[in-house]
Amino acid sequence: QDNTQDGKKYVIGGISVLGNTSFSEQTIITYSGLRKGEEVIIPGDKISAAIKKLWNSNLFNNIEMYVNRIEGNEVFLEIRLEDLPEINEVKINGVKKSKKEKIIEENTLNKGVKVTENLLTTTKNYLENKYKKEGFYNTKVNINTIEVEEVDTLQTSTRAMNMVVNIDKGKKVKVKEIVFNGNTVLPDSKLKKAMKNTKQKNITHVLKRSKYIEADFKTDLNSVVDKFKENGFRDARIISDSLVVIDQKNVALYIDLEEGELYHFGKIDFIGNSVYSDDVLRRILRINPGDTYNGILLEKRIADTENPEAVDITNLYQNNGYLFSTINTVEVSAEGNVIDLEIRISEGKPVYFNNVTVVGNDVTNDHVIYRELHTRPGQLYNKSNVIRTIRELSALGFFDPAQLTTDFPNPNPNEGTIDLEYTVVETGSSQIELQGGYGGGGFIGTLGLSFNNFSLKNILNPKAYKPVPRGDGQKLALRLQASQFYQTYSFSFTEPWLGGEKPVQFSTSVSHTKQFLYDSRTGKADRDKAFNITGISVGLAKRLNIPDNYFTLSQALSYQHYNLKNYNTGLFTFGDGYSNNLAYTIGLSRNSTYNDPVFPVGGSNFSVSAKLTLPYSLFNGVDYKELKDEREDLEYIVQDPDNIYTPAESNEAYNGIAEIDQERFNWLEFYKVKFKAEWYQEIVKKLVLKPSAEFGFLGAYNQDRGDIPFERFFLGGDGLGSYSLDGRESIALRGYPNQSIQPVDANGNPTNDGGTIYNKFSLELRYPITLKQQAKIFVLGFMEGGISFNDFKDYSPYDLKRSAGVGLRVFMPAFGLLGIDFGYGFDPIPGQSSPNGWETHFIIGQQF
Amino acid sequence: CSPYHKALKKPDVGEKFRVGEELYDKGKYEKANKLFAQIVPNYRGKPQAEKLMYLYAKTYFEMKDYYLASYQFERFASAYPQSEKVEEAAFLSGKSAYLLSPVYSKDQTETKDAIEKLQGFINLYPDSEFLAEANSLVRELDYKLEKKAFEIAKQYNKIAGYNGDYNASIKAFDNFILDFPGSEFREEAYFLKLDSAYKMAINSVETKREERLEDVKLHHKNYKKSYNESKRMEDADKMLEEVIKELEKYSTKS
Repeated sequence: QDNTQDGKKYVIGGISVLGNTSFSEQTIITYSGLRKGEEVIIPGDKISAAIKKLWNSNLFNNIEMYVNRIEGNEVFLEIRLEDLPEINEVKINGVKKSKKEKIIEENTLNKGVKVTENLLTTTKNYLENKYKKEGFYNTKVNINTIEVEEVDTLQTSTRAMNMVVNIDKGKKVKVKEIVFNGNTVLPDSKLKKAMKNTKQKNITHVLKRSKYIEADFKTDLNSVVDKFKENGFRDARIISDSLVVIDQKNVALYIDLEEGELYHFGKIDFIGNSVYSDDVLRRILRINPGDTYNGILLEKRIADTENPEAVDITNLYQNNGYLFSTINTVEVSAEGNVIDLEIRISEGKPVYFNNVTVVGNDVTNDHVIYRELHTRPGQLYNKSNVIRTIRELSALGFFDPAQLTTDFPNPNPNEGTIDLEYTVVETGSSQIELQGGYGGGGFIGTLGLSFNNFSLKNILNPKAYKPVPRGDGQKLALRLQASQFYQTYSFSFTEPWLGGEKPVQFSTSVSHTKQFLYDSRTGKADRDKAFNITGISVGLAKRLNIPDNYFTLSQALSYQHYNLKNYNTGLFTFGDGYSNNLAYTIGLSRNSTYNDPVFPVGGSNFSVSAKLTLPYSLFNGVDYKELKDEREDLEYIVQDPDNIYTPAESNEAYNGIAEIDQERFNWLEFYKVKFKAEWYQEIVKKLVLKPSAEFGFLGAYNQDRGDIPFERFFLGGDGLGSYSLDGRESIALRGYPNQSIQPVDANGNPTNDGGTIYNKFSLELRYPITLKQQAKIFVLGFMEGGISFNDFKDYSPYDLKRSAGVGLRVFMPAFGLLGIDFGYGFDPIPGQSSPNGWETHFIIGQQF
Repeated sequence: CSPYHKALKKPDVGEKFRVGEELYDKGKYEKANKLFAQIVPNYRGKPQAEKLMYLYAKTYFEMKDYYLASYQFERFASAYPQSEKVEEAAFLSGKSAYLLSPVYSKDQTETKDAIEKLQGFINLYPDSEFLAEANSLVRELDYKLEKKAFEIAKQYNKIAGYNGDYNASIKAFDNFILDFPGSEFREEAYFLKLDSAYKMAINSVETKREERLEDVKLHHKNYKKSYNESKRMEDADKMLEEVIKELEKYSTKS
């Protein structure tokens, strides 16, 4: 009778456990799943399942099960096993100390982990692969285990092992030579270039060092074959490849290949297309009969897997609602090396969006998100609109761009509908800036709070404070900065969709600055001598649809109050007094630059603006003509060319001027016009030319009242707006020191109060090094020139201060734009006679 | 040293349970919770575990940690289906989820979860003393989902003047009417649909204008049929008048 075929039925009479284990007998029996009194068939499933279960616990070694004895129909079983040893200590030889911890962590070689064969093998393989990937082709890893007795606090002994991992990385292996055999149409150099990851040793390879990694090499072999395929050699293949070790550090790669024959495209027919004509499809395919066969190009023109926004036939259908369309390419004939193709299209029904939903917005309110959607219910399915929506939602800054995903539930090919669900993950969009440092002769402390997804309407709702009310897409910023010389407080608020109907941006800000005079005697701030500025502004900016939707119209009303207390710096003729600046600004801009705002490759950017005050002199009844004459008389006394006045008289005249100026500038009266234009033009691939021009003019309605000493233009340097006391505008002009290009007075001496008219021309050539998401880097070369004047009479726009130079820009999302420019000024700065020479400029933020 | 600190440090699990219960009765839920958390593993499978797990869940509820309260009550209800507290636990699991549900204009995952739990409770214990409250909570949650869908559709109507997509509003209201047949916003939804259709027709390109104007008449008829008494009927009639006037241009032309 054959017992192994169909086993005999027994009842378990008892189970005993033997062997070196720290687990209790009962635990092991329970875990095995066998029970006393249970019926089992021996041999049978239950027994092997019990053994398997014990193995799967990963706690035991050498698991065996025996029939101890049989009494009648009762069977007594015996389980023999031993505990797997645990890791006690791990020693790693052959790598730096800092790497050891990482190796232990990555392979979970912590104390107490059970040592299995599997663990040893995977660790060995992991390490060998890791170093091979780094180019250490000869890496050898050897793991030794030494058993030790471990006694824990409860006096029970467990099996433990010390592990010694010996890593011999050997020398880094470089590829000395790559030898191709069998190529006649494509030269070696081209093929080597196609191998993107495996490079031959060459000192010019700075960015891509030569190393040998097997997996990369295999990918590169495919690239070589692809290179042939792109050139019509559709049958090209690698016959064999071999690696020859030259010495410890060098290997050579030999690649035998077969080119096959040259193929051409023949007839290309479209079948099944009704929405688009053959002509339309041909225009997208851009492949003509007789062209050299290029399978890769053909694939790309049908469905480019690398670029979701490519112009290809799949996208043509997908972007126009034909979500369920499929496109197949079939070779119908290859006679005489001419390949005839049929592109078979199954169009399906056009698909419309049914429900469009957003989930995951735990902070941001629906209305902030839904107004940005370019995919709305009832719209034709359009892939590019989905991509555009994702891009614009990312740009809000409230969500993690990497985790923004879409899902298309409930596709219904019969009805032609589909749902769309965007999943967003909120990110912290608030920033706190708290810093302190030494600068400008003392300690400067800054506290900045900026909430980018603020909710004003919840400001009185205590429940919404988590820790601030958020979710309405508004922006609130507070900033305090103080040093012993000055204090600045500012507050601003922005609502991007005022009224909620269209993107009309409303912004308002309040600021207060207090500046103390430097006391050269004590080296400290003199608190009795102060200059205060208090300002408030309200603005509206609106995207226009006419003439086209690149236009933005902005308007702002601003008021500033300047107050001087014993502040005699020569900046103003009066040291005690005040000035008010109530102005209306209107600006029109058109920005059509495209793709990347950091590195535009095309389009243009124009802006024109006017800042106006009321013409007070028309109606306030002051006779400015008389004041002007009186001032000229006093000026004569102060300058005293004939040396006839006493110091007391001169002093009195000086005070008189101050009084008159206070009268002239109690309410600032001016108009300011600015114009700026820049173009971007791609000359050759990625090389972009950026010409730009700008112009500004500050004028007075009443010539007798005269130009104001505020709001003026200061040319030169990096153009970064240092805290501007008098509303001055810093205009960048590289190759010269900051704010150094100022008009000269009638005697040819330099002045220090800025210009009222300026213009600047610039020509920049830019080339990107990398435009990856994490970091965008480009280099640039520039030529530019600019000049400023105090009077239209002197204005000669081509009498420029010229410069040229080179620079570098690095953009990282976390830091914004950083850059450095080296510029050479060809002309002397006003008041000097020799060319200004080299200047270095550091750039922070978007400039130039 | 308070009995709490002593119990916290001593290994005696019975002591921890006793002190924990005392603290619970005194309303010191956080301390009780800490003690319970320590002994939960020890009582697994033991008869006292039922009471412990109930109290443990309840401490989370009282501590307003509704995520864990909901989870612990749910676990309790499934682990002790015979318990006398199972009904209350099932209800509190749902109520905890309800308390987690955010304002309608944010992600409603918790709202849907709470509805599911409370509805499950209602179906299971139709005679429960908590039934009235459960029903009112579900109504409140349903109202949130309703309001969300309605406000989204309403926003499409509001911004259509900017993006020109009046159709989105009509489609969204159609979906809303389909999804929430008993909604209190139904009348307004029909009205705003009419409003969107009207604005789409008035601002339409010439080629589609006549067809769209005709369409407004249909929307008006639909609205009038159900809501003749509505206070918005006057506005609706005004739209119709305007549309009829506009349509005359086409009939005289032909």
